[in-house]
Amino acid sequence: MLESWIELARGPLLRLALLAMAVGLLRQVLLQVWEISWAFHRAGDQVVPWRVALRRNLEWLLPWRYLQRKERRAYNFTSFLFHVGVIAVPLFLAGHVAIWNQELGLSWWTLPPAVADWLTAITVVAALGLLLGRMVNSASRVISKFQDWALPVLCILPFVTGFWVAHPLWSPFDAQVVYLVHLLSAELLLILVPFSKLVHMVLFWVSQTSSELGWRFPPGSGERVRVTLGKETEGI
Amino acid sequence: MEAEIRTLPEVSQDVLASLRPPSLTPEKIQERLSYIIEKDRVVGDLPRRFLEAFAAVLKHTNYRQVIDNYARIPARCANCACACQIYQQTHDPKDVPCYRSNLLLEVYRRHFTLRGIVEGHLSGAPFLTDDLILEMAETYYHCTACRRCTLECPLGIDHGLVTHLARYVLSEIGLVPRALVISTREQLEGQTRNTSAIPWPAIADTLEFLEEEIKDDKGVDVKFPVDQPGREFIFFAPVSDYLMEAETLMGIAVVFYATGAMDSWTISTEFLDGINYGLFYSDWILERCLREELEQLRRLEARKILIGECGHASRSAKAFMRTFGGGEKAPPVVNIMEYTYRALKEGKLRLDPDVISERVTYHDPCNLARTGWIIDEPREILRSFCRDYVEMEPRGQWNLCCGGGGGTVSVDEIRPYRTGVTGVKKAEQIRATGAHYVVAPCANCKKQLREVCEDNGLDDVEVVGLHDLIYKAIVLE
Repeated sequence: MLESWIELARGPLLRLALLAMAVGLLRQVLLQVWEISWAFHRAGDQVVPWRVALRRNLEWLLPWRYLQRKERRAYNFTSFLFHVGVIAVPLFLAGHVAIWNQELGLSWWTLPPAVADWLTAITVVAALGLLLGRMVNSASRVISKFQDWALPVLCILPFVTGFWVAHPLWSPFDAQVVYLVHLLSAELLLILVPFSKLVHMVLFWVSQTSSELGWRFPPGSGERVRVTLGKETEGI
Repeated sequence: MEAEIRTLPEVSQDVLASLRPPSLTPEKIQERLSYIIEKDRVVGDLPRRFLEAFAAVLKHTNYRQVIDNYARIPARCANCACACQIYQQTHDPKDVPCYRSNLLLEVYRRHFTLRGIVEGHLSGAPFLTDDLILEMAETYYHCTACRRCTLECPLGIDHGLVTHLARYVLSEIGLVPRALVISTREQLEGQTRNTSAIPWPAIADTLEFLEEEIKDDKGVDVKFPVDQPGREFIFFAPVSDYLMEAETLMGIAVVFYATGAMDSWTISTEFLDGINYGLFYSDWILERCLREELEQLRRLEARKILIGECGHASRSAKAFMRTFGGGEKAPPVVNIMEYTYRALKEGKLRLDPDVISERVTYHDPCNLARTGWIIDEPREILRSFCRDYVEMEPRGQWNLCCGGGGGTVSVDEIRPYRTGVTGVKKAEQIRATGAHYVVAPCANCKKQLREVCEDNGLDDVEVVGLHDLIYKAIVLE
């Protein structure tokens, strides 16, 4: 019974989840590229500091920027560690690369098993740390929504179960159940990517550029807004 | 346009009462938002009008792409709260920049994205209520649009842009501080063509008087050039300088004298006010003010636009002149401090180091420093002749706002809020320097800092412009 579920989760469900994520992300990317080009086309000032904007995004990927500052240093560094793990383990774990190889026919560099184990542990601890940080910081706690609490928990699930899959002796549960939970939680996460804040994995890259373009107005836009609202003859 | 907008059902008073946060009773609205026009329209068709205005703005401007991005990516890490001097003062969740921006982003999600519209139909509850709109009207004018939080957002969200957009949409339904509207109306549609409603003869008298003052003080004949064609610079200062900051203007005039460039600048009699409240609340106003400046530049055949000591006037001209002035063809925009700095570097300014013996510190106006535009120039000028120059912490790009940014300084009704909440951190910062002179090269910052000092017991502090001190110390032959 469980075996057939695992077969389903390993094969068709995984493909479906990956496809859903890819299509969803592609849609977001295409929409954003379209919107940005349209904004650029209309802007009165077309000198957009693309490189500066992208560099500002990239600066936030590396920890040196926030390690220099006292405020939120621990939280931001924890977030950095979490992101390293959450990207590296799914992509570069040897077991995963084998699946990618089997599904896509592509193969690449893999993490040494010991490093993967440590990264997994760090990711789980970091995710718990982020949740704790969210709880103790009153500003962060108050503005948080359901997904801000749920997604870190959902991220922990495939990492913990993944660790048990690799080290069955450490697992308190039945190996097949653990494997099934590992697959299903990871797939749920993949499907949720385009529909949740996880979409920042693609939209993040253009946010600074978007901001720059937002400030680059189409000449006459203010007047056109007035006309649309039927206020063209009204004064200030 | 109509088809894109959902008409909201009439909402009963009971439902409204249940939705209304305790802070927004009608009495509170009367008390706290009395400076906002149309205060009587507490219940009515505000949501429909807001959505129409929002839809029209999204259609014609470039905001949709950025708002769509911001609506999807926030991680709600609250890094911005650490950067916000208002939140650090109040610790009110409503003052977390991300919370504030989310008010408008949620309206966008609910009414302008497919998912939000579906969700809205499923839940059936009215999302955009009068109270939410009034909350926005209040909170987006609590924000001083200093944009310090944008430096702290890992995802690159510019909360200053969201504040600007929210205020723009609110202004299109008549919710905008009366002080800003009245000034702008006089500047663009009134007789005097300036925000302080000073008729030209009065300004001409002032200039004549200032020329005599300079003659008395410095013994030289300095003229304020008026309506001179073919000059390099056309000069726009905040008009309040002509009333209240005479020493700033005199300082600028003697710098031109000292550099032998008295015939390189001119003031226009038709439109001389550099103030552009459009930067704070309306793209429509922003464009109209800049087009006036361009018109005067063409009329007097000047080549560059020179802005006086004013943060927002400088930023609105510098950042948007290319937008409305034809891209590449747009005239260059120069801030007076850049001009004076060049004069100093070329050795054309003689500043007596024995004149200013008191301690001096420099306040960075957000609109000049946040993007890293003008930070070191005024400091080098000050260090060249002020013996006891000290820095505030934090400073430069990371400066704290004076607490009256984003046009809020013009709203006298909220002075207790400005000096008792938003300006408190600034007062502490100034107190820590022990300075006598706080140099603030911005008309808004000057007014606000004077009030902050007055209300926070900093009686020995004198808030001045950069050119005020230059005027005191300059040696002219």
